[in-house]
Amino acid sequence: MKVAGIDIGSLTTKVVIMDDSKVISYVVNQTGDEVEQAARQALEEALSKAGICTQGELYIISTGIGSRGLQFGQGQKAVATCLARGAFYFFPSVRVVIDLGAETSTVVKVNERGRLIDWANQDKCASGTGLFLQQVAKLMQMPISEMGKLPIPEKAAEITSTCAVFAESEIISHIHRVPPTPKEEIVAGVYQSVVGRLMSLIKRVGIAKDVVVTGGVALGEGLVRVLERELGFSVLVPDEPQIVGAVGAALIAGETAKRGVSQ
Amino acid sequence: MNSTGSGNKLGSVIRACRLIRRMLRADPEARQSQFMYYQMLEDYFTRVLRAKEEDGFVVGHTVFFPAEIIYAMGLVPMHTETATWTMALFTGDCSDILASGARLGMAQEICTPHRGLTGAFASGALPHPEVMLWSNMVCDNTAKSGELIMEVCNCPGFFLDRPFKRSQHEIAYLVSELEDMVHFLEERSGKKMDWDKLSEIVARMDRQIELVRQINELRKNVPTPFRPQGFLELLTVDYLFPGQPEALEYLETLYRELNEAVKVGKGAVKQERFRLMTLFIPPMYLMGFLDRISREYGAVSVIEPFFTFWGEGRLDPSHPLESVARKSYMIPEMRMYGPLDDRALGAIVNCAEEYKIDGAIYYADVGCRHSCATIKLFKDTLADIGVPMLVVDCDVVDATVTSEEEVSEKLQQFFELLEDR
Repeated sequence: MKVAGIDIGSLTTKVVIMDDSKVISYVVNQTGDEVEQAARQALEEALSKAGICTQGELYIISTGIGSRGLQFGQGQKAVATCLARGAFYFFPSVRVVIDLGAETSTVVKVNERGRLIDWANQDKCASGTGLFLQQVAKLMQMPISEMGKLPIPEKAAEITSTCAVFAESEIISHIHRVPPTPKEEIVAGVYQSVVGRLMSLIKRVGIAKDVVVTGGVALGEGLVRVLERELGFSVLVPDEPQIVGAVGAALIAGETAKRGVSQ
Repeated sequence: MNSTGSGNKLGSVIRACRLIRRMLRADPEARQSQFMYYQMLEDYFTRVLRAKEEDGFVVGHTVFFPAEIIYAMGLVPMHTETATWTMALFTGDCSDILASGARLGMAQEICTPHRGLTGAFASGALPHPEVMLWSNMVCDNTAKSGELIMEVCNCPGFFLDRPFKRSQHEIAYLVSELEDMVHFLEERSGKKMDWDKLSEIVARMDRQIELVRQINELRKNVPTPFRPQGFLELLTVDYLFPGQPEALEYLETLYRELNEAVKVGKGAVKQERFRLMTLFIPPMYLMGFLDRISREYGAVSVIEPFFTFWGEGRLDPSHPLESVARKSYMIPEMRMYGPLDDRALGAIVNCAEEYKIDGAIYYADVGCRHSCATIKLFKDTLADIGVPMLVVDCDVVDATVTSEEEVSEKLQQFFELLEDR
């Protein structure tokens, strides 16, 4: 049975097509201003990649910040539920998922059946989010992908974790210092600031192994290394950390569709 | 200070109550107790406005203050926090009174009921009382609010010092404080305390507490018979009408209605899926939305350990002042506000088990540091018995802190979590 999961984030829209619980295609596109259009476009591309002609053959579940107003599909599920399912699909040993998105960081606790048992998210401040890191990359005048590959020195610049605006001022001050703070130390400081904020979220739901890191920010190796240093152990990162929520949505679509068929 | 147009906001509340009663008349599913409740609210606020028009003696008082004494003296009580909350609930907007509080120098970090009530007096949304009574029940904000209200309203006041801990010695001290307060009110109002009337009120208050306990017993049934957010009615009746005949009539009617529903197995929602424990008060401006989403998901609050679950004990009409003093330690909220000990944790564990709770929702009023400090403790305690707890950061009155969409997302997520277990 073919199903689709759509995860509409503030920055990117992810679509996953699954057949009998196997990912057969996926797409990650920019969301832009027109959420509905972005979702339809991404779905069409994913269908095309999977060699499926029409949307009519699919059972679709959506999730993410933009999913509420979607005019198509069979239902909508909350992000943490989908992250729990998606992370469990890739790593059955997962107990905590840390999702680092563009505007929101979410920490999800998962039981041994891959079901959500608790979650906490940070959505009131840009500090600790992907958009903040994008802004930092802009200030450092380098692409975010390049920033993610910078080596992480032992010494890190002091950057506040309480406010994204104050953090930016501090970064500018480090850049213009004489001599300027090395960019690796600034970036390491930024990561520590993000991780510091994240740790309070993680402690709210409780640390438990294995930890899986998802979301677009997980593509940056540097941040993941700083997080591991803070946690004191290695974390797991899927090959495509951005699509985990969409995979979870697709898995739920499959379960729901099966229940519908059996009824 | 401006007190012109003081009826504007309360007038809106009164008109809203009338409108709701008309709507209830047309609703075949509406219960008589709901109709009575809105009539009581209308009468309460009408009494306040009429007293101001007819040179009556309005006594402003803060939350948990023993209003039995005000009623026994034939004076008109005005519960300041409830008046503010009710305005928020019925007008859907309290931005002007909060702005008025800010102009008085009330910092944004102070809880909105207190910012709001001071602002309400300063802006004239609430009529100025003849005297202001306040106490240290339950928080530090309450202890300080009265002073500012006295200044804003240019009226005298009395601070009731209620000891934090409970012992025979401390009860005796609180009784002496209450005696001083009676003298203060007699001097200021020119009216004498009617001790027989106070005894009658105490006897009725004892019955009132018993009725709430009996109603809670009915709420243990599956499906539970009481409406999803209905407990706010119990709370308001307790705050505004301690020991009043109309409160007994309302509670007796409600008890009969719920008993009938239990007999025929009729639940408050079509399909009860999630039995919830509510910790702290939901945002007033979202009550309509919360009612809708509760019905949509089949989620009902079946117990509120810190709002409707009275502590043990009975009141003795032959010792009315001592009973009033003792009651201040039996109030459900006192478990949370202290001293915070095993009683609070024991109460939520017992309630979770006895009321067959699926999950708890803690509406964390960001301005209430006292209650927010308990979040982790309660969450861990409930987790130990397998009951998940959702924390919704919000504000009881200020709609700018949390949007309906945010609350909706969190509730949806929580209901999915409960469903998935």
